[in-house]
Amino acid sequence: MSRLRRDPRSEWQARRVPAAGSSATRLRYALGVEAIPATEVAVGPTGRPRRDPRTAVARLAVPGTARLRLDRSGLSRSVTGAGAVSAAPQEKLVIVEAPDFWVLALVEAPGGQPTPHDRQVLGAARLLAGPGAREGGGGVILVSAEPVTGAGRLGADRVVTLPVLAGDPVAAAEALAVLAGHFSARHLLAPESPLAGDLARRTAALLEESLFAEAELVSADQVARRRGAGRLEERRRPPRCLTIGLDRVAMHGGSLHEARELAFSASASTASASAGSILSIGPVERDAATVPLAEAEFVVSAGNGVTDFDLFRQLASALGGVPGASRVVCDAGLMPRDRQVGASGTVLTAAGYFALGIAGAPQHLQGIAGVEHVVAVNTDLHAKMIERASLAVVADAQAVMPALLALLEAGE
Amino acid sequence: MKAVVLLSAGLHPVSARPAPVPVEMQAIALARTLGAAAAGLHAGPGGPGVADALGHGLARIGHLPLARGADPLEALVNHLAAHPPELVLAGRCGQGGEDSGLLPYALAARLGWPLIADAVALEMQGPGVLAVRQALERGGRRTITVRLPAVVTVHPAAPAAAAFAWGQARRGVLEVLPVPSGFAGDAVPAPELRPYRPRPRLIRGAASGGSAADRLKAATESAAADGKLMVGPSPEEAAREILAHLRKLGLVPPRQPR
Repeated sequence: MSRLRRDPRSEWQARRVPAAGSSATRLRYALGVEAIPATEVAVGPTGRPRRDPRTAVARLAVPGTARLRLDRSGLSRSVTGAGAVSAAPQEKLVIVEAPDFWVLALVEAPGGQPTPHDRQVLGAARLLAGPGAREGGGGVILVSAEPVTGAGRLGADRVVTLPVLAGDPVAAAEALAVLAGHFSARHLLAPESPLAGDLARRTAALLEESLFAEAELVSADQVARRRGAGRLEERRRPPRCLTIGLDRVAMHGGSLHEARELAFSASASTASASAGSILSIGPVERDAATVPLAEAEFVVSAGNGVTDFDLFRQLASALGGVPGASRVVCDAGLMPRDRQVGASGTVLTAAGYFALGIAGAPQHLQGIAGVEHVVAVNTDLHAKMIERASLAVVADAQAVMPALLALLEAGE
Repeated sequence: MKAVVLLSAGLHPVSARPAPVPVEMQAIALARTLGAAAAGLHAGPGGPGVADALGHGLARIGHLPLARGADPLEALVNHLAAHPPELVLAGRCGQGGEDSGLLPYALAARLGWPLIADAVALEMQGPGVLAVRQALERGGRRTITVRLPAVVTVHPAAPAAAAFAWGQARRGVLEVLPVPSGFAGDAVPAPELRPYRPRPRLIRGAASGGSAADRLKAATESAAADGKLMVGPSPEEAAREILAHLRKLGLVPPRQPR
């Protein structure tokens, strides 16, 4: 779709030499390589012209390819030049007006941003619904508590926003069951995560359906999951309620869908017998000191560049991060072994990593391979951790720690 | 207080021999922290794995004998409605059967009781009111207060189960309870089963239909391509920049106005 499209006719027109004087009857075209522009030819100290081979190569390089391609004929430049057909034609929007059936995809999308797991659930929903705009195909309805950005790109034909999903799970499950009944949804999909998996099970129980939990393989006519103490695989045609395991189904990567907003009020839901039994739901607490390293969201980690570990622990708790350490520190007995980050310790799933005085051994970098944002403080400019970090500070970690703590204590 | 722990006929994940399900043994330990008179309840074919639960701290297990592969829901609903306890505890997910974790939800929906998932601690807050500490993802915890009777499922992060005690297992009673003829449960249609073979997980961020080069890029390229580098700043300057960066990413909560 994004390939350059050549128009040979306009290419020839672009090479045409303007007619001059008596030769006006004959069309003339300039063929072959263009002359080297005068700006690339410098005059050397002896007065002889000198060519810079690097600029010549840069001029011949074809833009937009990952691999270096040199075009000595000059054809690709004339494509991008005047008179060429515009590249990348407008992407067609897939509009599904009246599908044969609906697939509901429940996503968590905290703050309106779909997580990778959410994208995979929509990819699975797209697989079950078919590509859309075709006879016998289905449509995908994205269901979330708040509006999701880029829903059309993820493959959603319709979008339903139900704020009730963020609150009491009993009311949320009732709203989902009503929604599934309203659209006579053929499938209801959810990510297999603690909150969404709970909601899917509640909804399946209300609909009196079985649940195909943590599906590992999804296609339009078959789904598979693990069962029997992890020793057996169950295969069947796709049932009504499914939850999708993490990193099992690829996200939707094809057509752009409409993501039309649908207004739906869940007020039609009936109050169940157990509705008044939940007296209060407390706020979510995360005590950074007790969270296992593998579950942590933000890890503050100490390496050989840290000597004052009381200060380090104070800083970690002030930043709200889970304390971690490198292998050297754990071997020295300065931090417990269960705090070790790396291939021989814990492989992190955190979103952020703050490395203090860690150079970044390959085994340590394996442990943070899945971390998106890394901040590093190290005295060595050429350390691997400095290369890996999105914010790298070449400084003494032992000096930066009290400054950070002072800033946090001053309320900044 | 009367509590019932639901027990399933588990299999060991490695040897496939009958074995108690670990999270159900943790449920027994949680019931004992309440000082409750906990009894086990099993609806199914029974077996040595179920009887082993006696050694983990139960004095009595009621057994509703059902054929292998029969749906235990009707028998459990019938029994619990006739002899209602105040609290029903279950594991988060079985081990050896369907392993979908749906049964406690279906049971709660049929009984009309509330269900609290993933408990790691229980505490009585007065007569008939229970505070459940719930485990959430990323190590989060929250407390939910619920009026009994209720169904509570137990998370693997709950305190460890009591060790198996031989004498207790000998003293415990496994009582076979009658199952009325209409409640034996229909046989679930046998699904297509085959030995499990692990599948590789997908590479995150690579779209379906992408090329091998896309997948390699998604697997090897770090997200932080626009790395910012500060060489030899003063500690205060470095601290200010680090804090601003962490706040921009939402990793550190924003500044509290004073």
